[in-house]
Formats: sequence, structure tokens, C-alpha cells
Amino acid sequence: MLNKNVLTKILDIALKKGGDFAEIYVEEKTVNNIFCEDNKIERINGGIEKGAGIRVINAGNTAYVYTNDLTESGLLNSAITASNALVNANSAPISNINLQVRKPNYTLDCLKQPDNMGIEDKITKILDANKLARNISEEIRQVTIAIGDSKKKLQIANSNGVYVEDERLRVRLIANIVSGRDNLIQTGYESAGGVCGLELLDEFSLEALAEKAANLSLNMLDAKPAPAGKMPIVMAAEAGGTMVHEACGHGLEADLVQRGLSVYNKKGEKVANEKVTVIDDASIPSKYGSYVFDDEGEVGQKTILIENGYLTNYMYDYLTAEKDKVKSTGNGRRESYQHKPIPRMSNTYIAPGFDKPDEIIKSTKKGLLVKKMGGGQVNTTNGDFVFEVSEGYLIEDGEVQYPVRGATLIGNGPIALTQIDRVANDIGYAIGTCGKDGQGVPVADAQPTIRIKELTVGGTAIDHDNLTIKRIRRK
Amino acid sequence: MAEKVLNIATDQGVDAEAFLLHNRELSIEVNNAQVETLKQAEEIGLGIRIIKNGCLGFTYTSDLADNAIITAVKNAINIAQFTTPDEHNSLPKKQENYPELGFLYDDEFNTINIDEKINLAKRVEEIAQNYDNRIKIVESATYEDTEFSSLIVNTNGLYACEKANYGGIYVFLVAEEQGIAENGYAMMVNRKLYDINPELVAKEATQNALRSLNAKRIDSAQLPSIMEPYIMTKFMGLIAQMINANAVQKGKSLFANKEGEIVASPIFNLVDDGLLQDGIASFPFDSEGVGSRKNDIITKGILQGFLYDTYTANKAGINSTGNAARGSFRGLPTVGTTNFTILPGDKTPKSLISDIEKGFYITEVMGMHTANPVSGDFSVGAAGIMIEQGELTYPVRGVTIAGNLIDFLQDIDAIGNDIRFFGGRSSPTIRLKSLSIGGE
Repeated sequence: MLNKNVLTKILDIALKKGGDFAEIYVEEKTVNNIFCEDNKIERINGGIEKGAGIRVINAGNTAYVYTNDLTESGLLNSAITASNALVNANSAPISNINLQVRKPNYTLDCLKQPDNMGIEDKITKILDANKLARNISEEIRQVTIAIGDSKKKLQIANSNGVYVEDERLRVRLIANIVSGRDNLIQTGYESAGGVCGLELLDEFSLEALAEKAANLSLNMLDAKPAPAGKMPIVMAAEAGGTMVHEACGHGLEADLVQRGLSVYNKKGEKVANEKVTVIDDASIPSKYGSYVFDDEGEVGQKTILIENGYLTNYMYDYLTAEKDKVKSTGNGRRESYQHKPIPRMSNTYIAPGFDKPDEIIKSTKKGLLVKKMGGGQVNTTNGDFVFEVSEGYLIEDGEVQYPVRGATLIGNGPIALTQIDRVANDIGYAIGTCGKDGQGVPVADAQPTIRIKELTVGGTAIDHDNLTIKRIRRK
Repeated sequence: MAEKVLNIATDQGVDAEAFLLHNRELSIEVNNAQVETLKQAEEIGLGIRIIKNGCLGFTYTSDLADNAIITAVKNAINIAQFTTPDEHNSLPKKQENYPELGFLYDDEFNTINIDEKINLAKRVEEIAQNYDNRIKIVESATYEDTEFSSLIVNTNGLYACEKANYGGIYVFLVAEEQGIAENGYAMMVNRKLYDINPELVAKEATQNALRSLNAKRIDSAQLPSIMEPYIMTKFMGLIAQMINANAVQKGKSLFANKEGEIVASPIFNLVDDGLLQDGIASFPFDSEGVGSRKNDIITKGILQGFLYDTYTANKAGINSTGNAARGSFRGLPTVGTTNFTILPGDKTPKSLISDIEKGFYITEVMGMHTANPVSGDFSVGAAGIMIEQGELTYPVRGVTIAGNLIDFLQDIDAIGNDIRFFGGRSSPTIRLKSLSIGGE
């Protein structure tokens, strides 16, 4: 780690030609991955990477320089490059930067340091899970089990005097199972992850993940093609929150709103059913998107984005907060020292309501029950979003019928939010890596069991009778 | 540095490979004729692969000081004792004479002034802003160039070293009419700086946004469908995984055991060419130092073979096809494509449309990463333009397209004589007999 005098010197140099703000972000990341496939420990990867990113902002414009050279002279050179890159900086250089250590509002504890578990012990757990999954059925064709952990040590200093040191541990468990019958192949995927140590293995055992993934892939061999067309959708809590992430999360990131690229430029207005409250919260212990400080040194926090249907706030980083003359909500995140921070989600969820999950299904005459969601995408400009249903069932007369496969759901964010008509009292999380502007950051999303009056299901089984009825109704 | 890795490895009696990558990057994003973000970057790192009695170990480091390298090699050797031995793990043999590719490096990228690069981004923005008064926002206009040098050595005496560069411009914009906004995007990446054309990029993005305005929703249907080259290159990402020997050998490809069989329409030809003239993914050797070459994958609908690196080739008892790939110094090589190309057909893109009475012309897909390369199942969001009586009519959005890639490839009934490159992938316009469209 670099000492404060060196950091101050670098900030001074970065602002030599003017500018409103300078920052240095130093990162040292250690990674360990163990990967089992084809019934063997196929790969163990380890590595260490160090780097720094220097940012200078002038009148809202940014110069960003990164390097692996962490010597004082290397960093000073990068600071000069950043300073020279600013076009037309005319403000006077900031002097007398006095770095003060910023205190966290909370801590995220690690109970079991990953370094303390030997490679042999991790391998034993992995091989046990592999064996368990393979013994479930002869139709299991491939099993992939992986454990990954990473440690990021950070140092952030800026010309406003903010100084932060942080260490983040992150653990991820993966089980991917392929099963086959004749020419049909299906997959089941389960993952768990958190900002924590290997105590995650106590909460989610690898064997349990492997079993769940195996059963899912086998289940999908029996599934029928999903229907195509509009219908009510019940999303079980265990499906996690990909829908909320795509349908409104991205559109509430301040950079997109400020550029006119979001359909949610409606602060204070009603944008969702009154049963809907949406929150982003970096402070939840051990979730995958949690942090003590964001990647600009702002303290992590809980931000209510939509309250009882009304849009209350956006997610801000430093630059967008300055523009709106508000305080950053601690959502300035970056993938690594190679990227400038931008507003990003942390752990985003729809708050639980009062309905009972079973009753929501019982009151649905015909629809699709989503038990597991995969990835998704949103076009924030027009609000259209899609997400993958990796485990879905048809509901008929309030009863869960047969599994269906190959369904993506497509909807429009603002419309879907007003059409959420049931919100249950449970909650379930899913983890993911969220991509934006070429940067991936770890996030968690959650929601209770909810119902959306209608979304378009993108299956292949087209119900021609139903289509005719719909056409007549419209006339 | 790389020598040091090999010396330590030789002392310890293990096989070793050092992969050193040095990367320089410049990115300029312009907004309202001002440089909003200027990013300059330099990255260097070393990946170390060890094979000890058939066991594989891998570490990487960005710290190239002597002690850091020594630690990294020792860690890799240590790791190797925990992985399962596999007789097929080996490093490539010393290679004779890599092909000389004269187009890999354009010195102009280094000699021109940065202001000229800034101007390229400014030009794109300016042309786009003034093209049509419905273009309300140019979200970003970006110039980027990259230069990288790669060095690979191993204890078999292999030595490979080369550098390359390329640059490009990208634009995202928004058109708006009657309060409804739609996106447009276009890009151009080139080996030659002076081939980068801001007019073409700006016009394409603008037209893409304008043609999407006032979109309607449609009912679910089965329709003949046309994929623009850009859309098709996204589907090629799925095909790339199905012809990857690693996936094939692990039972994760629907193409397993289908060599010599018909897997696609007889007019469909697919190649991967690591030496393609001016190709963005062209390089004399792959990521473990095996010489690059051209590989036919599907010819007249018949599967010719798969793409292999050294490990998967050993397992299959053949030679590597020169398709070892790595995204950075941080990982082991895996099988990947280079310049991945669907060969053009003989019909004009226009005639593909004019033959259709009612159909769907697909211009955008969403959530392509959710399609499953193992099962071949895809169900993705889509937008496009309706075809009626052989003409493009009104835009459509908020629908899904779904199917299985096996049927998709068989259903291709016409291929355009156009071809467009998007990075390492290229495709002509493609027509399918029928596709499931999910709507209202």
C-alpha cells in the first residue's frame, strides 16, 4: 500500500494544469479458483494483480489513466498523463490537500478466511458434490463444480481529502449440470456468492447446489415447450430479482437519467403499483453486491428508490451527484482499476408485502410460474426488458401443472411496474454479474413472490385458438 | 523475464510456458463537441502454465519483479500437485516459421496527433446530430485504439513474438418522435487508421434509430424471417460454442459425433480463418504459440470438424487447429474462434425481402447471453420491421423469437451476397423459412 504523502503528491501533480477533482484508486487483487469438470480437478488458477487508476475531472469531463506500475515514478508519470489529457482546464490548481481517513458506517465480517482452508479440503468438498450429482441419474452427462474466492485490497484518495482503505473478500460457488436424453440436452445451473468468507459453505453446501442443479436439468428434460403470447406471470421469491434489476434498476441509475436515456425521469411521480417499494442496499451483511465503501470511497448505504409506487430517488456516484447538486448515494462502482466509476446497483430488491405466496398461485387462473430466472437485458431508452426463465411451470386453475422450457419473458419496465398486482411476504435472493458500459460488477437482486398481470412469454408453442379469440376481442 | 520462468521450471524438472502480454489502450468519448472521457491505459502481465507429470498448474502476476515471478512459478508448481493428472496435457512443440502478416500493425496510430483522433469522434457526433431533427441525443461517440504485444515461450523451445494494433469508432444515439425514444448503434473497427469512416458509422446509427420509431406490437406467429448481418453475428456466438472441441468432448455440444453429417442447410458455409487478410482477429500464432490457419467448419451444410487447442487435439489424436485463445494473461488458454465467417451467398439482400409475402426482418435482439449453447435453445427479445408483399413496412418491437439452433441452421433458405464484419465475426444477411415469434 502507498503512503499518504505519496498519494497527496500524485493528486497535486494530477491537478497541476487545473481541474475540479482528482482521485487515485489503488487495487491489489488476489484470485483463487478451483474448477472440476469431466470427473476431475481440471484447473486450479491463482493470480495476483496490482494496479492504479488516476482520474481528473474538469467541468464534468474526465481524464482517466491506469497502470500496473505502482512505483512512485510510474504513478507520477500517469498523473502527468492524466493532467495533460484534460482539454481546456482553466480552474486554478487545488492546493493543500489534507487526506483524512473516512470511517465506515458498518463492517462486513468474514468468519472463515479462505486462505485458512487448504486446497485439499476445498477439493474434497468439490469432489463430493461432483459424485453426488453424477449418482442422481444416468442421464447426467456432465458436471461442473467450482469454488472461487477473491481478495481485493483498496486504497482511495481524492482531492476533497477523502482517504479510504478497504479489504473485500468475495466467495462464489457454482454447480452446472448437463443432462441428456437421446438428442435432447438440458442444463441446470445453481450459484451462490457473498461478500464474506468460506462460512458461505455452511449456508449453501456445494452438495446441495449440485443436487438442485442436477434435478433442474433432469426436470427440464421432461418439460414441454413454453407457450408464446401474453399471460399473467407469478414470480416465486426463490427466482430472485433479475426482473426488478432489468425492469427498473438500470433506469434509476443517475447517469442514464441525466442523459435523457431513461424512461424513469419522473422523480416524485407514481411509477408503480402502490404495493411496490424498491430498495438498493449495499449494507446487507454477506450479500454478493455488498460493500462498506463504494469504489470512490463513499460509505455504502440503503437507498429507497421507489416507495409505495412513487419514485423517490436515483442511484448516484460522485460525478452525477455533483451535477444534480445532491450527495452521492454510495453507488459509484467500477470493475477494477482499469475502469472509471459509474452509478451501479449493489443489492436491489422489491420489499416484501402482505400477500401469501400460495394464495397468489391459487388465485391465478392461467399463467406462468417462474421459479428460477437466468440473465436479462434492458433497453433503458424505451424501457423494454427481457429475462430468461430457467425453471418455469404452467399454472392452470390455480394449480401448478407441468414444467415448460425455452421461455424468455419480454415486457416494458414502466408498464410492468404498474401491473404488479400481488406482493407476498417472503423474499429470495439471486446473484449475478451486472454488465454496463463494458464493466462487470457483482450484484445481488431479490424480490418476494409477486404477480404481474401480463408479460409476453417467448416460447415456441403458439396457441392458434387463443390468438383468434384475442383478435375478436380487440375488434 | 519469460526466460526466468523457464529456467526455474527446468531446475525443478517440470514443463513450463510463459505468456507475456503488453497492452496499450486509448479511448476518447466525446459529448457535445467536448472530450467527456479520455482514457489512456497500459497493462502488462505474465501467465505461467506448468505441467508436472501430466498435472496442470497456472498462476498469473502483473508484478514482474524477480521475486514476484519466482513466487508465481513456485505457486504454479505447487498447484499442479492438486490437479488430476491427464496424459493429454502437453505444451506445443517448437514451431517453424510463422506466417508473415504485413497488415497487423499500422504505424499511423502512433504518428498522428491525438487531436486528429478526437476529431474522428467529434465528426461522428456532429454528423449524427445534424442528420435528422428527430435525433435528440447522441449518447456517446467514441474513438478507441489498442496495441498489444504478445510473447510466448515454453520448455520445448517454442518462441513466438508479435505485435498488432487496430482502432475504431462507436456511436450510440437516440431518436425521438411523439415522446417515444428509440436507440441506434453503429461501429467500425479497422486495422488501418485511415480506413475508419465517421460518415458511414454516423449514418448507419442514425438510420438504425429512425427506422425503429413508431413501432407496433404484433400477435404471436410463425413467419419467414430475415436476420441482418449484425444479428446473425450474435447467433454465431452460440455456434462458436457448439463447434468448440472442448464442449464436444465433454458432451456439451449438440454437434458431438456429427462430423461428416448434415447439420445445416446445403447453402450454408462456415469457416474460421486466423490468417484472414486485414482480419481483426488475425495473428501469426494462437495463444499457446501454434501457427494460425484457416479451418473449414461447415461446408455445404456438412460438418467438417471442430476447433481445437493442443489439449483437445491430443485427446482427439489430431493436430491443433491453432485455436487456443485467451482473453488476457489471467487465464489458461481455451478453445476459441479467430475470424469467424459465414460465407456470402448469391442473392442481393433486397431480393431476400422481395420474395416474402409476409415476414419479419430482425434488426435487434435482446438477452442473447441467455440463449443456451449446450441445449441450443434460444428465446430472446427482438425488434424489427414487418415485411408485407415483398416490402419492408412498419417497425415492430417487444416481441420474442424462439427456437433451437439445430432447426435454425437447417431452416436457412437464402443467403445474401453482402458481408459485414463486427470485430472477429462476419456474416451476410440470412433468411429463415420460418421462426416462432412471440407477441401479444
